[in-house]
Amino acid sequence: MEAYRQEIILAAVALYMVFCVITGLWAMRKTTDASDFFVAGRGLGPIVISLALFSSTLSGFGFVGGPGLVYSIGVSSFWMITISTAGYALGFFMVSKRIRMIAELRNCISLPDVLAARYGSEAVRLLVAITIVLGVMGYLATQILAMAVVMQAILSGTAMFADISLVSCVAISSAVLIFYCVTGGIIASVYTDVVQGGIMMTAGVLILLTAMSVFDGGMTEATSIILKDDSEAIMPWGSAGIMASLGWFFVFGLGLAGQPHLVTKMMMNRKISDNRHIFPLSILGYVLAALLWVSIGIIMRATVIDGVIPPLTLPDDAASVFLSVFTSPLLAGIVFAGLFAAIMSTSDAFLNIGTAAIIHDIPKAIRGKSINNELLWARIVTVILAIVAALFALYSYYADATLVALLGAFGWATFAASLFPVVALGLNWKGATVPGAVAAIVSALIINFGVQLAGIALPYGVSGGLLSFVVSLFLFVNVSLLTKPPSLDSDIDRVMDI
Amino acid sequence: MGRQLIYVIAAICTTMTVILLLILTAEPVANAGGAAHPVFAGMRIGGDGLARLETIGSLGYAFQALLLSLIVAFATLGVSERHRTPRLRAYMIATLVFSLFILWRMVASHLNFIATGETSYFMGFPTATAWAMYGVWLGGIPLVFIYTLGFRQFIYTDEDQAEFERLVAESIAEPIAEPIAEGRENENSSEDAR
Repeated sequence: MEAYRQEIILAAVALYMVFCVITGLWAMRKTTDASDFFVAGRGLGPIVISLALFSSTLSGFGFVGGPGLVYSIGVSSFWMITISTAGYALGFFMVSKRIRMIAELRNCISLPDVLAARYGSEAVRLLVAITIVLGVMGYLATQILAMAVVMQAILSGTAMFADISLVSCVAISSAVLIFYCVTGGIIASVYTDVVQGGIMMTAGVLILLTAMSVFDGGMTEATSIILKDDSEAIMPWGSAGIMASLGWFFVFGLGLAGQPHLVTKMMMNRKISDNRHIFPLSILGYVLAALLWVSIGIIMRATVIDGVIPPLTLPDDAASVFLSVFTSPLLAGIVFAGLFAAIMSTSDAFLNIGTAAIIHDIPKAIRGKSINNELLWARIVTVILAIVAALFALYSYYADATLVALLGAFGWATFAASLFPVVALGLNWKGATVPGAVAAIVSALIINFGVQLAGIALPYGVSGGLLSFVVSLFLFVNVSLLTKPPSLDSDIDRVMDI
Repeated sequence: MGRQLIYVIAAICTTMTVILLLILTAEPVANAGGAAHPVFAGMRIGGDGLARLETIGSLGYAFQALLLSLIVAFATLGVSERHRTPRLRAYMIATLVFSLFILWRMVASHLNFIATGETSYFMGFPTATAWAMYGVWLGGIPLVFIYTLGFRQFIYTDEDQAEFERLVAESIAEPIAEPIAEGRENENSSEDAR
C-alpha cells in the first residue's frame, strides 16, 4: 500500500471533488430563487447547520497554519481553540435568535440586509457590504492559492502529473468550487459542508490517535521533550507570550459572532428552536476537528527537537511532513481530503456572501433597490468573483504578494473588530446608534489597515487585530451612549424585546 | 441587572482599553513576544518566563479577567431583558466565578513552575498548560448548559414563540416598508431605547 501512497491520496481527493460536483447538480434543482441561492430558503435542519457552521469556522488555516503555529510558537496558538466554547456561546446568545427573526420578518438574504433593517440605515448596509467584499477578496485569494499549492504537491508526486503547473492547479480547484457554488448556491455549499465536516471530525480523531502513538510515553513524553528544550513554549502563554495569546483569545472568541460567513448561516435554519441543538453540535464538531491542529503541532515540535526527524523547512510543512512520516496512506488520503474540505467549505461561504454583497446590498444601498433577476446575476457574479480571486491569487504568487497580504489582514480579525459590535451588540441593545456603528467599522478598518500598511510591530506581541477590536468596542458603546438613541421600526422594536 | 448592564459593559470596555494602552506604553522587555530558536529555524522560544511577566503580568491577568467578565456580560445581554431573572443572574455569576477560578489555577500553577522548575502532568500536558488547554475550554461549558437546558426558560419561551408568530402573521397581513430613511435614527428619539 505504501508504494501507492500518492495515488491513494489523489484518489481520496478526486473522490471528494466528484462528490462536490454531484452535490452541485443535485442542489441546482432545489434552487429556484435568490432566497434559495443565498439562505437556502431558511429551511435547513439542525445537523446540516451545525456541520456547516463549524466546518466554515475551521478553514484551511486550521489544517495547515494551525499545526504550523504550534510547531513555531508552542502553546500560544491553543488560545484560538480553547475559546471556542465561549465564542460559539456568544454567537448563539447574541446573534442566532434575532438574526433569524429579522431575516424572516423582512425576508433578508444577507447580513447587510439584516443590519440595514436593524439600524434603519443604508450607510450601515453600504459600509458592511464594502467590508465584506474586501474581506472576501483577500480570504478567497488566499484559500484558492492554498488549495492549488496543496493540489500541486499531491499531483507532482505521481508519474502522470509530475510537471503540473500551479496555474493548472488553480484552474482545476477553482473550477470545482465554481461549479458547485454556481449551480447549487448555498444549498450545495451547506450540503458539501456536511460531508466536509464529517471528514474533518474523522481526520481530527484519527490523527490524535496516531499522534499519541508516536512516542512510547504518548503526549506526556512529547510535551516533556518540549519542556526541557524551552519550558515557556509549552507553558500556558507559549513562546509568543501573554498578550499574543490573549489577543487570539479575544479576537477568536468574541470575533466569531462577527464573522459574516458564519452568522449568515444562522439565518438559514428552519426553526429558531433548533438553535439549542445546533449550538452544542457545532462545538463538538469544532473540537474534534481541532484535535488535528494541536496533536500534529506538538508531535512535530517534539520529534524535531528529539532528532527523530530533520527540522522543517517551513512551519507550515508540519501537517504534510507528519502525514508522510507517521500515517498510513489511507489516513493521509482522508486528511488531505479533509484539508480540501476545510478550504472549500470556507471558500464557498465567502463566495456566497461576497456575491450577495455585490448584486444585492451595494445596489440596494446606492439606488434603493436591488437588481432584477437576482438569481441569474448571482450565478454570473459568483463565477466572476471566483475568477478574479483566482487571478488575484496567481498575481500575488508570481508577481507581488503585498496586495493579498494586505487584504489577508482583512481576515478574521478585521471582520471581528468591525462587525462584532455592530452585529452582536446591535441586535441586543436598542440604544446602539448609527454613529456608533460607523465609528466602530471605520476605526477597525483604519487600525487594521494602518498597522499592516505601516508594518508596525506593537510591543509585547499585541496584534493590530486586538488593538482594533478593543478600540472598536470602546467606540461603539461610548459613541452610542453619547448620541441620540434611534427610533426603531415597530417590528424590529418588538423583535428586540423577544 | 436590567438596563444598567450596558453601563457595566461600557465600564469593562473602557477599562480594557486603558489596560491595553498601559501595556503598549510599558517599559519594553526584550523578547517579550518570543525569540528565534537558537538551533531550529522556524521555531521560536519564550525564554525567561519571569522576565516576560514582570512588567505587564498583572495587567495581562487583569485584562483576561475583564475579558471573561465581558463574555458573561455579553451572554447576559443576549438574553431578553424580561428573562434576566434572579436565577439566570445566579447562573451567569456562577459561570464567571468558575472561569475566574480556572484562570487563578492556571496562573498559580504557571508561577509555581517558574519558581520551582517542577511540574506534574495532567492528560499529556504540564499542569498549568492543562488548566489553559482543558480548563479554559471547560470554562465556557456552563454557558452551553444555560443555553441548551434553559432554552425554553431564558432564550425562547413558548410566549416568545407565540409573540414572534403573531409578528410574522401581522407582517404578512401588513407588509412593512423597506428599511431606508437615512437619518431616521435622529427622529423621535426615545430615552426608553437606552
